[in-house]
Amino acid sequence: MTYVIAQPCVDVKDKACIEECPVDCIYEGQRSLYIHPDECVDCGACEPVCPVEAIFYEDDTPEEWKDYYKANVEFFDELGSPGGAGQLGLIERDHPLVAGQPVRAA
Amino acid sequence: MPTDIALTPKDFKSDQEVRWCPGCGDYAILAAVQGFMPELGIARENIVFVSGIGCSSRFPYYMNTYGMHSVHGRAPAIATGLACARPDLSVWVVTGDGDALSIGGNHLIHALRRNVNLKILLFNNEIYGLTKGQYSPTSERGKITRSTPMGSLDEPFRPLSLAIGAEASFVARTIDSDRGHLTDVLRQAAAHQGTALVEIYQNCNIFNDGAFDTLKNPATRDDALLRLEHGRPYRLAPDAEEIVHDVEDPDPTAAFTLSRLRHPTPIGVLRSVRRPAYDQLMNRQTAGAVAERGPGDLAALLAGTDSWTVRG
Ligand code: SF4
Ligand code: SF4
Ligand code: SF4
Repeated sequence: MTYVIAQPCVDVKDKACIEECPVDCIYEGQRSLYIHPDECVDCGACEPVCPVEAIFYEDDTPEEWKDYYKANVEFFDELGSPGGAGQLGLIERDHPLVAGQPVRAA
Repeated sequence: MPTDIALTPKDFKSDQEVRWCPGCGDYAILAAVQGFMPELGIARENIVFVSGIGCSSRFPYYMNTYGMHSVHGRAPAIATGLACARPDLSVWVVTGDGDALSIGGNHLIHALRRNVNLKILLFNNEIYGLTKGQYSPTSERGKITRSTPMGSLDEPFRPLSLAIGAEASFVARTIDSDRGHLTDVLRQAAAHQGTALVEIYQNCNIFNDGAFDTLKNPATRDDALLRLEHGRPYRLAPDAEEIVHDVEDPDPTAAFTLSRLRHPTPIGVLRSVRRPAYDQLMNRQTAGAVAERGPGDLAALLAGTDSWTVRG
């Protein structure tokens, strides 16, 4: 089990969640953030601080955003388990599901 | 006794909802332990987690193994009995700085001295978390807490110094959020015959947030940490001479010096020496006595003539 960042984060990215994560497993993509499914320790600290309620416990992800579970997993296909997001900084790409979202006006 | 049992980390997750505060370092330790357990190759019914009282002591509920949430400070005593009666089991103790060093200080040192085959994980967050933020035996002097409004006057324990003083045969330190390091230390502790004491710096983000931040922050940690590895050289200070780290050194002096060091803070295995385990010695002694004198007769002993008369 893991926590998942879903559609509301796209183009918002205020990163409040990053501050809270004790294991630094929330990685920054171009338009959204992604939680590493194997590095996340299910502590639940990120979920309540997200101002747009983008973060869900895997099983509680609303039906319309269920695919974001896959987006969070597959985003790391190439990266493996870097063991800390801080050292990587911005990763200039997105999962196709995120990349295909219409641009949200600021 | 590793076998070919194939288990996954998921197999070690119980069906209980984890109830620590969101963001607590305990979650990271739990995930690392569950991730490591399959490596042991031991069936879940042959693994036991015994805890005392405190936040960390909820640990056995979340492990899909046998377990016991026992009496405050007494987990090492209960685990000692279990490890002696059932040497075939893998017995782990989960405790905190308050449980292990204050309430259970005596039990801890005698388990270490005896070298019972136990793996003790001491979650050190330098505060009493469960009772809402009083200073603990590892809180630094001057610490302002709910029970020390003008600052703590106590000199803190250094758990690893205490353990070495109590003749511990295996002493190590690691950090909750460093999954790779924590797993490596667990691996070495599990392979050790006898008592292994592993101090885990654990962040209590509610009552003592950031206590170990300089050891975790990528910008400061390289200077703040001394990563120990057997056979590798280290220095106690930048201009000090190099010492080759030898965990097997029978003389505990170097390990004790490391246990006193604060800047930088050593992590890794400080000491790992071979010494007979208590449970093996005890079972050998019992078997020898039975072979020599035959099995005992408890009823006869109780009804025997070897008694005292108490006169009023
Ligand atoms: S707090 Fe919410 S919106 Fe902000 S980066 Fe994290 S998931 Fe995205
Ligand atoms: S649940 Fe905890 S470990 Fe997982 S991403 Fe959120 S803050 Fe990080
Ligand atoms: S009080 Fe501290 S140690 Fe206890 S569960 Fe909460 S964060 Fe963790």
